[in-house]
Amino acid sequence: MNCDEVRPLLNASLDGESDLVRQVEVDAHLRGCPRCAQLAANLRARNAALRHQLPRFTAPAGLAARVQQTLAAEAASVPAAPTAAPASTRAPEASATPGQPAEPRRPATLLGFPTWRFTGLAASIALAMLVGYNWGASGARRTRLYNEAIGEHVRSLQASHLLDVVSTDQHTVKPWFDGKLDFSPPVVDLAAAGFPLAGGRLDHLDHRTAAALVYHRRLHPINLFVWPANGDEASERTYQRDGYTAESWSHGGLNYLAVSEIPRADLDTFIHAYRSATEQ
Amino acid sequence: MPSTFEQTMLPHLDAAYNLARWLLRHEHDAEDAVQDAFLRAWRGFERFHGSDGRGWLLTIVRNVCYTRLREARRSVPTEAFDDGVGTVPLEEANPIDWSQARSALLQRALERLAPEFREVLVLHELEGMSYRDIAAVADIPIGTVMSRLARARQKLGSELRTLSETEAAHEL
Repeated sequence: MNCDEVRPLLNASLDGESDLVRQVEVDAHLRGCPRCAQLAANLRARNAALRHQLPRFTAPAGLAARVQQTLAAEAASVPAAPTAAPASTRAPEASATPGQPAEPRRPATLLGFPTWRFTGLAASIALAMLVGYNWGASGARRTRLYNEAIGEHVRSLQASHLLDVVSTDQHTVKPWFDGKLDFSPPVVDLAAAGFPLAGGRLDHLDHRTAAALVYHRRLHPINLFVWPANGDEASERTYQRDGYTAESWSHGGLNYLAVSEIPRADLDTFIHAYRSATEQ
Repeated sequence: MPSTFEQTMLPHLDAAYNLARWLLRHEHDAEDAVQDAFLRAWRGFERFHGSDGRGWLLTIVRNVCYTRLREARRSVPTEAFDDGVGTVPLEEANPIDWSQARSALLQRALERLAPEFREVLVLHELEGMSYRDIAAVADIPIGTVMSRLARARQKLGSELRTLSETEAAHEL
């Protein structure tokens, strides 16, 4: 690795968030490069200063007792245990309790709608207010999806996470996904078209698990995210930001989103090659 | 109060208070928020199925704090928050001597950052949470945690430099 490759990895490496292979490569580079070693030493000093000089506030005396009093009063005012309370009395809290830990199984309904939808909606509205756009427009939602995909693409370049299964063989990559996903992403090698398959990994997009297939165009990776549309088909669109291009489409019940920093024309060529090979 | 709730959540009282104190920057507001969060956690405890009690509680604390911040934002202008995209350049020229950084100045520098930056620093540096755990609490992708943390550290350095220079100018 050279300096330009090592520097974007330094933060994650010092945070212990890098994988072993990259960690070894980064460490090897630091041993031989005084400038990067100096930079790393300064980052290490910064992290130590933050950790040791910033106060971690502890709860004031009596707060624990006050919390317990509040809860005791609440318990006394609700005759039944929380598990037996009717759904309608619990609904107001849904907006403030995290939807994520609760989502997998929650039978409670409010007016026939699963309450997690409200929780998710409230969380979305909160998020939309924070980042300053209106969630209601589907365009904003799409933009968020593209930005999320670009973020995951960038991360896959920086941290440990580009590949879970490393193989140029589609017959190795495809079975790897089986059993890990409830759908089967079409995997083909496109080396003949100039886009060799590098491998795949599991990723997270739009609040669900997605397959990420990784192809290469010379030295540049292309992340191709695949996930079930479930009636929410991605339209054919292109989104560009900060040198990254994201293109989406949908076929056969699956949504696709390709992200890369290669020129848009090259990405179009890749998508054409992939779709020609997979859509019969 | 169910004893399992007490056993699962009360050990994280300090973590809850620390996050609320840093987000709201005010002792009494933080105490109120923590009480509110515990009440909500208790009411929703049936929906807690995981093993990470701290992460679950901190998610609620965070939501309570952000609601309060939004209410307060009408009267108090805060720094615009911009997550940005892409890598953050590492500072090389004229680096800060972090070994000389003083606690009080660092604290003031952190308090000047937008809450979204403050929270990732507090969760990572003070609570020692992983990128993955922070992603769950803040409800953002891990990639965003990584870039936001990098940006937060960089911004903290800039604030610290500004504060140090201001202080030095006053001493002259």
